[in-house]
Amino acid sequence: MTSPEPTASQPGSTRTGPGRVLIAIYALFALAASARAGVQIATKFGNAPVAYLLSAFAGVVYILATVTLAVGSPTARRIAVVSCSVELIGVLAVGTWSLADPATFPDATVWSGYGSGYGFVPLVLPVFGLLWLRRQRTLSVGPGAVPGAALGSVPADRDIR
Amino acid sequence: MSSVNGAVPTTIIVAGLALAGYALVMTARDRRMDVGLLAALGVLEILLLVQVGIVVARLAGGEHPAGLATLIGYLIAMPLVPVAAAFWGLLERSRWGSAVIVVAGLVAAVLMVRLHQIWPVIRV
Repeated sequence: MTSPEPTASQPGSTRTGPGRVLIAIYALFALAASARAGVQIATKFGNAPVAYLLSAFAGVVYILATVTLAVGSPTARRIAVVSCSVELIGVLAVGTWSLADPATFPDATVWSGYGSGYGFVPLVLPVFGLLWLRRQRTLSVGPGAVPGAALGSVPADRDIR
Repeated sequence: MSSVNGAVPTTIIVAGLALAGYALVMTARDRRMDVGLLAALGVLEILLLVQVGIVVARLAGGEHPAGLATLIGYLIAMPLVPVAAAFWGLLERSRWGSAVIVVAGLVAAVLMVRLHQIWPVIRV
């Protein structure tokens, strides 16, 4: 594996190449978190209101990240960066909170224990999301946007503002 | 019935992990989804549909888990996993299409474990 993405098309796009994998995993978590929160809030909201509301919030953040990564316009990317950042802060904050104060979380959220119930994917995903967004930003905006980015072939039709 | 009950989810776990491994090799070797990988997804799809049938038969028999809504959600989502992965593989004609199939294989295996957690009568 000498070249990172030899067959990838459209440099700078957030939805092709590795982005496709990210979007697939984000879509999965968007579905899982929001569906789970929907069922919990509808059937047993009183049991663990904080946990269920946090799950619902996580679901919304995942949906936002999925859609904005798939759309990939400059505005969508900005929203995606915010979504992934909120997600990272959320998983760290809720993870710590759930360990420090287990009484508030009689039922787990996606972000409980730093996402341990989901193989820590919720912790790793926003990191990859942010890295991917940054990398594609340097590819699409071209040299100058990020110091040290030396890229010659930037297609003129890519997302350049 | 009980032997079939345990055998199908176990087969799905093994098949899902094998598919993930195969697709991972394809990703590492910079291969996009081919007919072999598509056929493997087809086999996984058939296994998942059989599992859905087994669970629906049990529900029709009058048994219900505590989290019925969640179970029904799983029954709807389960067969969509290989289909979605196949579309992604066709859409992304690069190694990253194969990488999406790695995720699908792992998800199928995890879904079986979750299914057992939602309704312990579904053995793994």
